[in-house]
Amino acid sequence: MITLGLQDQNTFLEAVNKKSGANVLECYQCGKCVSTCPVSGYMDFPPREIMQMIKLGLKEETMMANSMWFCLTCSACSGRCPREIDIPAVMEAIRHLAIEENYRSDNKKVKEIRKFHDIFLDMVKRYGRNYELRMMAEFNIRTRNLFKDMHLAPKALLKGKITIGHESTKSAKAIQKMYKLAGKLEKGEK
Amino acid sequence: MNKLTYFPGCSAHGTSEEFDHTLKLVMKTLDVQMEEIPDWNCCGATSAHVMTENLALALPMRNLVLAEKLENKTMGIACASCYSRMKVTKKHLDEHPDLAHKINTTIIDEGEYKGDIDVKSMLQYCFEEIGPEVIKSKVTKPLTGLKVACYYGCLLTRPKDVTHFDSPEYPMSMDILMEALGAKAMEFDFKTECCGASFSISNTDVVESLSGKILEVAKESGAHMIVVACPLCQSNLDMRQPDIERHTGQKFALPVMYFTQLMALAFGFPEKELKLPKHIVPVQEALSHIGEIEPTPEKVKKTKKAVEAESEVE
Amino acid sequence: MARVGVFVCFCGANIADFIDVPAVVEEAKKVKEVKVSVLYKYMCSDPGQQMIRDAIIQNRLTSVVVAACSPRMHEKTFRKALSDAGMNPYLLEVANIREHSSWVHQKDKKAATEKANDLIRMAIAKSIANEQLHEISVPVTKRALVIGGGIAGIQAALDIADARIPVTLVEKSPSIGGRMAQLDETFPTLDCSQCILTPKMVDVASHPYIELIPYAEVIELDGYVGNYKAKIKKKASYVNFDTCTGCGACTQKCPVKVPNEFNMNIDKRKAIYTPFPQAVPNKPVIDAEHCTMLLKGKCGICAKVCEKGSIDYKMVDEVIEREIGAVVVATGYDLWDPKPYEEYGVGRYKDIITSLEFERMVSASGPTNGVPLRPSDGKVPKNVVFIKCIGSRDEAKGIEYCSKICCMYTAKHAILLHHKVHDSHAYIFYMDIRAAGKGYEEFVKRAQVETAATYLRGRVSKIYKKGDKLMVRGEDAQIGQVVEVEADLVVLATAVIAPHENPALARLLGISYDKYGYLSEAHPKLRPVETAKAGIFLAGCTQAPKDIPDTVAQASACAAKVCGLFAGDTLKKDPMISTISNEFCSGCLNCVKVCPYQAIVTEEIPLGHGSKELRTVAKINEGVCQGCGSCVAICRSMAISLAGFTDPQIINEIVAI
Repeated sequence: MITLGLQDQNTFLEAVNKKSGANVLECYQCGKCVSTCPVSGYMDFPPREIMQMIKLGLKEETMMANSMWFCLTCSACSGRCPREIDIPAVMEAIRHLAIEENYRSDNKKVKEIRKFHDIFLDMVKRYGRNYELRMMAEFNIRTRNLFKDMHLAPKALLKGKITIGHESTKSAKAIQKMYKLAGKLEKGEK
Repeated sequence: MNKLTYFPGCSAHGTSEEFDHTLKLVMKTLDVQMEEIPDWNCCGATSAHVMTENLALALPMRNLVLAEKLENKTMGIACASCYSRMKVTKKHLDEHPDLAHKINTTIIDEGEYKGDIDVKSMLQYCFEEIGPEVIKSKVTKPLTGLKVACYYGCLLTRPKDVTHFDSPEYPMSMDILMEALGAKAMEFDFKTECCGASFSISNTDVVESLSGKILEVAKESGAHMIVVACPLCQSNLDMRQPDIERHTGQKFALPVMYFTQLMALAFGFPEKELKLPKHIVPVQEALSHIGEIEPTPEKVKKTKKAVEAESEVE
Repeated sequence: MARVGVFVCFCGANIADFIDVPAVVEEAKKVKEVKVSVLYKYMCSDPGQQMIRDAIIQNRLTSVVVAACSPRMHEKTFRKALSDAGMNPYLLEVANIREHSSWVHQKDKKAATEKANDLIRMAIAKSIANEQLHEISVPVTKRALVIGGGIAGIQAALDIADARIPVTLVEKSPSIGGRMAQLDETFPTLDCSQCILTPKMVDVASHPYIELIPYAEVIELDGYVGNYKAKIKKKASYVNFDTCTGCGACTQKCPVKVPNEFNMNIDKRKAIYTPFPQAVPNKPVIDAEHCTMLLKGKCGICAKVCEKGSIDYKMVDEVIEREIGAVVVATGYDLWDPKPYEEYGVGRYKDIITSLEFERMVSASGPTNGVPLRPSDGKVPKNVVFIKCIGSRDEAKGIEYCSKICCMYTAKHAILLHHKVHDSHAYIFYMDIRAAGKGYEEFVKRAQVETAATYLRGRVSKIYKKGDKLMVRGEDAQIGQVVEVEADLVVLATAVIAPHENPALARLLGISYDKYGYLSEAHPKLRPVETAKAGIFLAGCTQAPKDIPDTVAQASACAAKVCGLFAGDTLKKDPMISTISNEFCSGCLNCVKVCPYQAIVTEEIPLGHGSKELRTVAKINEGVCQGCGSCVAICRSMAISLAGFTDPQIINEIVAI
């Protein structure tokens, strides 16, 4: 049971609204987003429930949810929302809040998804571009799941579907600098 | 000769080489000169916007700045994810000039962002700038008899206020292009349902479930193959198809081709140029339908037949 | 020397909480003409009014200022108090310190108090320049015009006519009956719609006080309350109604088939047709858009088979005029086109129909003889999915408001489906069940329990085809799961919208309409049947979506209003109207151009004293002028004056602040 009236309902709601540019209060709980969302079945709280949780000021529960990590930003929900709420922006906002405020879910899937994105960004930082096989291999090594998708690799390699090597680009250096500057900027903003 | 600034995206040199290759072929036929943005970088899709705010804008912005230095003011993007990131970023920067200025001056070294370039997906470019009529005029080997299900995915038409292109629910542009090539575009309800996108690596089960549903509905439509305009969609639907078949017990055998491959074929390029061996699901069987003449449909007017019959009696 | 009384109202806490009322009373006393300044909790109450009456007599007041709420609310009340004390009622001024100060400046009591002081000072200054005015009497034509022959128009016409007041009822289609004639059974009692409506339709046709003009439209309305003149265009029916017996031979033999709009285009009608068997009048009309005789001069079968020779292919539209005193507008509603629901495949799938199409199918006299059938293959459906709020409560695709009737008719459809197809099952996707009305919740319960309709709480997100079934996907929020229903037929409860011709009609009648096209009532709570234009009233869905009981009630209320208006031989009218001084009028006639009521006419007067040469000047039609003041503002020679708002009054007000 959750006792209401104890939480500071407005601070969290306002933070989410400000960051997302959406107004969560507009949600009237019709659930069209839930049956639209391709991954709502994997979320512990589908979009409709997330909206209500934000309205109720349930910050801890929202921040620890896996929902925003599963959101693929496919924008199907916002395209069908009768109140035209930018739900992906809300998902993005609570994801960024969770990162900023260092909420770390124990959920295995969330951990894997975050790992994937870390590796991806790391790869772009190193090479300026992204290379799929390296990506896949690194992900499997870092999630201790060496043999995942291994059955695909020979076939894909053989068919030239994925390549092992990578081009070295001039951009890599520029990108590394950008990462540094972006990091600085973000720190400065806090 | 039309000129076009080209952003290939990272997959063009890897998973979607056949897309990049056939795109270049057909653009040549259509008299479009593509100029690749020198020293372009990854747009950040799909991780940058998940994890960061400033970097998510800076990565595509650097490409926009580089592209603005070129003479041509239209940028064509092959990959749907890159297209979406570029377009979302551009919209955000144009709506928030202060933010644009901040990121431009603190993170990006390559020069000033002006915001004077038009970003289009290659599908959009073919449909809007070239047009089905011109494309039809270049067809030397019509694809008559081939039934296709056009799959657009999430990002080519969504969100509507970002793309301003076609319908987010039931787009028709690729269907019309395929019909211009002589193929038959089937009624297909899952044109814009998500395939699972970047969960390809981190959440394979999600991709299998979502892509499986798309394959099922595409099969139901009676199509011989699925046509796509996005490398991630292609790899999810093609590379994962054997696994999906194994896990669900269904048999799809639906090859997944890029719309440019079919354009190249209809424009008379030899099959080897399509790089067909790169496909996991074999393509030949589907292509063998080309040239088949469809039996003329029976002239049965089922619609409201019973209804009318009853009212006639009266 | 003027002697002014100031009466400041607390309005309970409405004013007193945000304005320092005692200070305001003291401030008013500083004006030298003010002989009495008092406060009271509710000035509009009887003791409050008594206070004013006593003060007028005791202090021999020459004008009165009441500082209270909006004059729209209680000006009449206080004027009457003045009259009762033997004072001319137009010596009253109202300072609106509630709407204009206490309500809008709740966060700053000091500023609100200062503003109240200003408003009161202005009112005092103005009242000093007030003159005695007297109500104007205008004659009244005791005939009502009712526009629209649905249940609202029928009820209003019958009630007015029963009071022995002549009514002209104009209906645009060939028969009266409206939407209600299309319904099968009605909630919450399941009365047969035709059975309760048809007798009323017949009453209209036979009523000695009702002139029924079908297949016609009002194209012009001039004049003012009690004295309107309407132009009515009778569309050519190509059938002489005086001789036609309604035998039906022509309709039977006509070879041209046209989609039948009465049956929502499910079946066909002929080019010469009566919309439905119980039509009133039961005379056919020729649809000029489809008749081959009228289009190409070929055929002529109907004329050949007509024994009475009633067919007249040369008939043309005719414009007639009626003098009337009041208008009841009852143009009903349209239904929203669900095409924007692309995610449902609307337009691509034949087995997705609208509620009114379903209604026609389950109607015993409908195109499928009362059995719902799938349009794609004519089969009887087993699983039927009803989706509510299609276009309603949907800002993205349709309209923001709730259409009010869909929850109830969908429950009805579930019940009717079960009656017609016993082994069927109804699934109803809904957001909320809105069943506020006598016997309504009980009716919904009947659908849920007796019919065992499955209610699923959630908006449907997608419909796709699987074999010959439609897969309907939505969330059932009650179990927190996404569900898919395998449906044979999908019925969309499309939104009620204002008739598309409402804005044009509103402009023609000189009344206002809202952003959706619904005609606007004068006050949402206290004057729901009047419009802002005197003598024009609203009945039924033309004002807002409503069900049959509410529509009938509003129609009867309109009739009461019309009867009240016609109760005397003349109408009283406020004297706040413009007058033009011939001496100063230069005859530029700019005032004629700006007058929104066409209340200014021209007049020829001698150029000078005894001169035979004439010049043109403007003249106010007292009956029409509404006292808006536009002419006063535009007049360059300051020849026009508006009673109650004269230059000395306005200047006094300005000087006071």
